Amino acid sequence: MKFSFNWLQSFFKTKLPKPNILADVLTMHFAEVESVERKGNDFILDIDIRPNRAGDCLSHIGVAREVGAILGLKRNHPEIALIKDIKDRKVKVKDLLSLDVKVKDCYCRRYTARIMTGVEVGSSPEWVKDRLESCGLRPINNIVDAANYVMLETGQPLHAFDAAKLSDHKISVRFSGDGEKIKTLDNQEFSLNHNVLVIADSETALAIAGIKGGKKAEIDENTKDIIIESANFDSRAVRFASRFLNLRTDASVRFEHGVDPNLTESALNRATDLIQDIAGGKIIFGIADHYPQKIGEKKINLDMDKLQRLLGIRIAQEKAKKILESLEFKIETKTTKFLEVKVPTFRQDVNLQEDLIEEVGRVFGYDKIPAVFPLASIIPPPRNNDIFWEDFVKNTLKEAGFSEVYNYSFFGKKEAELFNKEDLIEVENPLSKEQQYLRRSLIPNILKDIAKNQESFKTISLFEIGKVFSQGKEPQEKRMMTIARTGEDFAFMKGILETILHRMGISDIWYDNFQMIPDESSDKIWNCDKSAEVKIGNEKIGFVGQVNPKVLSDFEIKGQASLLDIDFDKLIKLAWEEFEYQPLPKFPAAVIDIAVLVPGEVMIEDVTNKISAVGGTILRDIDLFDVYDGRGLPTGKKSLAFHVILQAKDHTLSSGEISDAQSKIIKALEGDPEWQVRK
Amino acid sequence: MPEIDQNLIKEEIKSALEGALNLDSLQQISRQYIGEQGKITLIFKNLKNLPAEERAVRGKMANDLKKFFEEGFQARWGALKGGVQISKNRIDVSIPAKKVELGHLHPLTLVKRKAEDIFQSMGFQVVEGPEIENEWFNFDALNIPKDHPARDAWDTFWLKTNSKEKKLLRTHTSPVQARFMENKLPGLPKIPNPPFRIIVPGNVFRHEATDTRHEYQITQMEGLMVDKEVSAANFKAIVGEFFRRFFRKDVEFRLKPDFFPFTEPSFDLGMTCVICHGKGCVLCKQAGWLEVAGAGMVHPNVFSASGLDPKEWQGWAFGFGIDRLAMMKYGIDDVRLFRSGDLRFINQFK
Repeated sequence: MKFSFNWLQSFFKTKLPKPNILADVLTMHFAEVESVERKGNDFILDIDIRPNRAGDCLSHIGVAREVGAILGLKRNHPEIALIKDIKDRKVKVKDLLSLDVKVKDCYCRRYTARIMTGVEVGSSPEWVKDRLESCGLRPINNIVDAANYVMLETGQPLHAFDAAKLSDHKISVRFSGDGEKIKTLDNQEFSLNHNVLVIADSETALAIAGIKGGKKAEIDENTKDIIIESANFDSRAVRFASRFLNLRTDASVRFEHGVDPNLTESALNRATDLIQDIAGGKIIFGIADHYPQKIGEKKINLDMDKLQRLLGIRIAQEKAKKILESLEFKIETKTTKFLEVKVPTFRQDVNLQEDLIEEVGRVFGYDKIPAVFPLASIIPPPRNNDIFWEDFVKNTLKEAGFSEVYNYSFFGKKEAELFNKEDLIEVENPLSKEQQYLRRSLIPNILKDIAKNQESFKTISLFEIGKVFSQGKEPQEKRMMTIARTGEDFAFMKGILETILHRMGISDIWYDNFQMIPDESSDKIWNCDKSAEVKIGNEKIGFVGQVNPKVLSDFEIKGQASLLDIDFDKLIKLAWEEFEYQPLPKFPAAVIDIAVLVPGEVMIEDVTNKISAVGGTILRDIDLFDVYDGRGLPTGKKSLAFHVILQAKDHTLSSGEISDAQSKIIKALEGDPEWQVRK
Repeated sequence: MPEIDQNLIKEEIKSALEGALNLDSLQQISRQYIGEQGKITLIFKNLKNLPAEERAVRGKMANDLKKFFEEGFQARWGALKGGVQISKNRIDVSIPAKKVELGHLHPLTLVKRKAEDIFQSMGFQVVEGPEIENEWFNFDALNIPKDHPARDAWDTFWLKTNSKEKKLLRTHTSPVQARFMENKLPGLPKIPNPPFRIIVPGNVFRHEATDTRHEYQITQMEGLMVDKEVSAANFKAIVGEFFRRFFRKDVEFRLKPDFFPFTEPSFDLGMTCVICHGKGCVLCKQAGWLEVAGAGMVHPNVFSASGLDPKEWQGWAFGFGIDRLAMMKYGIDDVRLFRSGDLRFINQFK
C-alpha cells in the first residue's frame, strides 16, 4: 500500500527522519518499503504490508504506531471535536433509522451508523484530495472522499448512503438471494448468490457488504441527508464474495484480513467529524450500533526465558516491556520472569507468546542477534540413497559425453496423444495448452530438446533424470531416466546402459524382443523392429532402441534418434555398491577363433548360448568380433565370428584340452543342420 | 701427407649444408667438419707434423675452409631457423586442439549438490518428498488455513485425479517438513525424531506468469533444525556459514522481519551482494543487498499439527530457490534458461 510521508509526519510533533532513512528503518523493523517516490512536496512510501498486519496496518495510524515504537517517538491522535458539541438532542438516530441485522453474529460482527442532515455535496478541499491521490485513490466528492480518507487513516472501510433514496427508514444486513441483481457505483451489474452478504433497505440491496456500494443510494450533488456506515463483516464471507464476483476493492482487501470490530465506532466518529468539517450539515445525536459480542483484549504470558531461548539473545525485561507498551500492548503484571500482556484488539494477529517475541525482537532489532553455532549432539546424517545413485549415474553419463537437461514436469495435448488418456493426470487450471498434463514420460520433452538443438549441434547426446506422473487410484509419481542420442546405434545405447548397470553393481541384464502390447503407449514412441525391452532377472526396467519414424517427423527431428528409457526407482533398488576383488589369473589363457554361418534371423545370443552350454569350466569369455552378411555368402545367411577365451584356474591348459573344447563347440553349433562352422 | 683439394671440400661442404633439412642434421654436419674429429679440425691437428713452409700454406687453407664452413653454416642455420625449409616430419603445432567430447551437468544439479554437500558436512540429512501433494501437507499442516488470505501467496496448480482428496502440485518444499516430523516418508531410515537437522531439495510449482525472474516451476531447498534449544542466533550462524562456503566469499547477512504462516517470528535473510559487495549494482538493483532466503522459528501450530509438543521442541526453518542461487553464482539473467533444454546454455557448465 502507498503511504504519504507528510500524512505520517502529521501524527508526530518531532520531525521524522528523511523519507529514505525512514524507509530503511521500517524495512529493518516492520515491513519492506519497496519504493520511495517524490510527489510534489510529499514522498510516497510503497510498503509491502504482509497479510498478518493487513488488519491494522493498511492505515496511516497503524504505520505511524510502528514508526513511533521503532523510533521511540510520541504520537498524537487526530482530534474529534465536533461530535461532542451536538446541542440538539431531541431527534436521535434511532428515531430515524431502524437497523436489522438478519445474519448470525459471526457474519456481521458489528454494524454502526450515524446520520447527518443538510450536507453540501461538492468537491473536497485540496488537502483531502492530495492525500487521496497520493495513496492512489480518485477523489469523487467530499462525502465519499471523507469516507475513503478515514479508511486510509484508520484502516476501517466506511460507506455513505443518500438517506432520501432508501425506500424506507430501514437498513438490514442479510444474505442475498440467488440471482439477485445489484448495480454498483461504477455501473457494473452483478448477479449475487446466497453466500454474498448485502446491505439492503426493505426492497433491494444497497451495497455488497464490505466490498462495494450500489447505485441506488449513491451520493450525488443533490444529496442532503446521509447515513454513514462503519461496519465489521466476516473475513471469510467477504473473501468468498470477492472471489465469487471477481471484485477486489480497498474495502474487501481490509475485511478479508480481519479488521478490529472495536474500530468501527471511532472511525465512524472521525468520518462524521470530517464530513461536517468539509461538507457542513448537522450531526444527528446518537449512533446506531449492533454489536452482539464485544471483542475483548486477550491476555498472554510472556516468559522472558523463552524469549531468550528462541531468539538467542537476552533482552532486558524492562526493555521488552517498553517495546510492547510503545505498540500499545498493556503490561498487566510483572514478575521477575514473566510479563502478563494485554493485547489490544486491533492486533488480531497476536495470539501466542511467540507472536509477542516477534514484536519485541523486531523492534529491538534482529541485527543485534549474534551468530552462534548451536550446541547439538553429533548425529551423523544417514545417506540419501536415491540422491547418491542419481548423482552417481549423472556423473557416469557426463563422462560418457551426455549433457543433462531439466525439462518442465508438464506437457501438452500433442505429446499427450502418445499415451493412454486414462493414464494421464490433467491439470485443472493449466497456464496454457502446452502445460495441460503432467508428463507421463520424460521422452516427449527430450525429443523436443533434440529438435530444438539440431540447428546448432550435429550430434546431440542428452539425458534427464526426473519424475513422471500417472493416474491410479491415487496419483502415482516415479523417477525415470531417459537418455537420448541422435543417429542410429543400438549397440552403443546398450553399451551406455550396461556401463551404468555395471557401475551400479547390477548384473543379470537381458534384452527381450519388443512386444506389441495393446494399450501400452510405448508402441507409439518406439520403432518396434529396432527396440528391445530391458530386463534384469524377471523385472522389466525399461526400453532401448530407435524412435518410431512417425514420432520423429511429428517432433520435427531430422535423421534418427536412439533412446534409453529406464525406471530409475527400480534401478536404485537393485543397485549394489559393494564389490569384491577377483584374484588375478595365475595360468595363461588360450584363444580359439570360431566363425559360424547361420540363417539371418538367428540371434547372436543363440550362438553364444550354445557355446556356453558346452564350454565347461574352462570357458572364460566369448567375444563377437565380426558380423558379415555381404557378398560371397549364400542369401539369407550371415557369418558370425567369435574369440572364445579358455582358461583354467589351477593349471595351464594342454593342447589336448583346447582342441577338445574346440571340437565340442563345433559339434554343438553344427547340431543345427542350418548352421555351418567355417573351417 | 695427401693432397687436399680445397675446391672439392668446399663443394662437399656446400652440398652437405644444403642437404641439411633441419637444425639437428645441421648440427651433425657441423660435427663432421669442425667437431673434435671433424675433417677441418683434423687438418689443423695435422699441421704440427708438417714442415714449416707447407705448414703455413696448409694452415692458411685450413683457416680458409673453416671460415667457408662457418659462413655456410650460419647462412643455413638462419635459413632453417627462419622456417624457409621445414622437415617433412615436423608437426604443425598450431593445429586446433581436437575436442574431447565430455558431457555436461546441469547448473541446477551443480548448485544443488554443492548445497547438499555443505549442509551434510554440518550434520544435515537430505530428505525428499512427493511433488503431488494434498491440501493438508501443503497448507493446513503448515498453519495456512483454508479460506485465509495467506493462502493467496501460493498460486496453486490443481490436479484432476481419481483420489478422494483434492490433489495439487506442491507450491513449496515445506510439506516435506510436516511429512518428516510425522514420520510419513516411506523408505527413510528412522532416526531419533527430534532432535534432527534436515534439508529438502526439490521441484516446486507456482501458477504464475513467467518472465526473466519468474518461473512456474523452480527447484527449492528447505532446511529444518529442531531441538530443545535452537535459536535464531543459531540460524544466523548455520545459514551464514552455508552462504559463505557456497559463494566462497566473506559476505555479511541481515535479518529483516517478514511473515510466513509456518514460522513465528519470521525473517527474510539478506546477504551483501556477491557482485558489488554492497555498493549497489544491476544484480541487487542498487540496494547492495540480495534477499536470499525466507526463514523463521517453526510456528507452534506446525509442531502441534505434526504431533510434536511445541512446549518441548523448538527450531528454525528456511527455504531458498536453487534457481535463484544458481543465477547469483553464475550471473545468469534469465531464469527460463534452466528449463529451456538449450545445449548452448547447458554445455557451458561442467
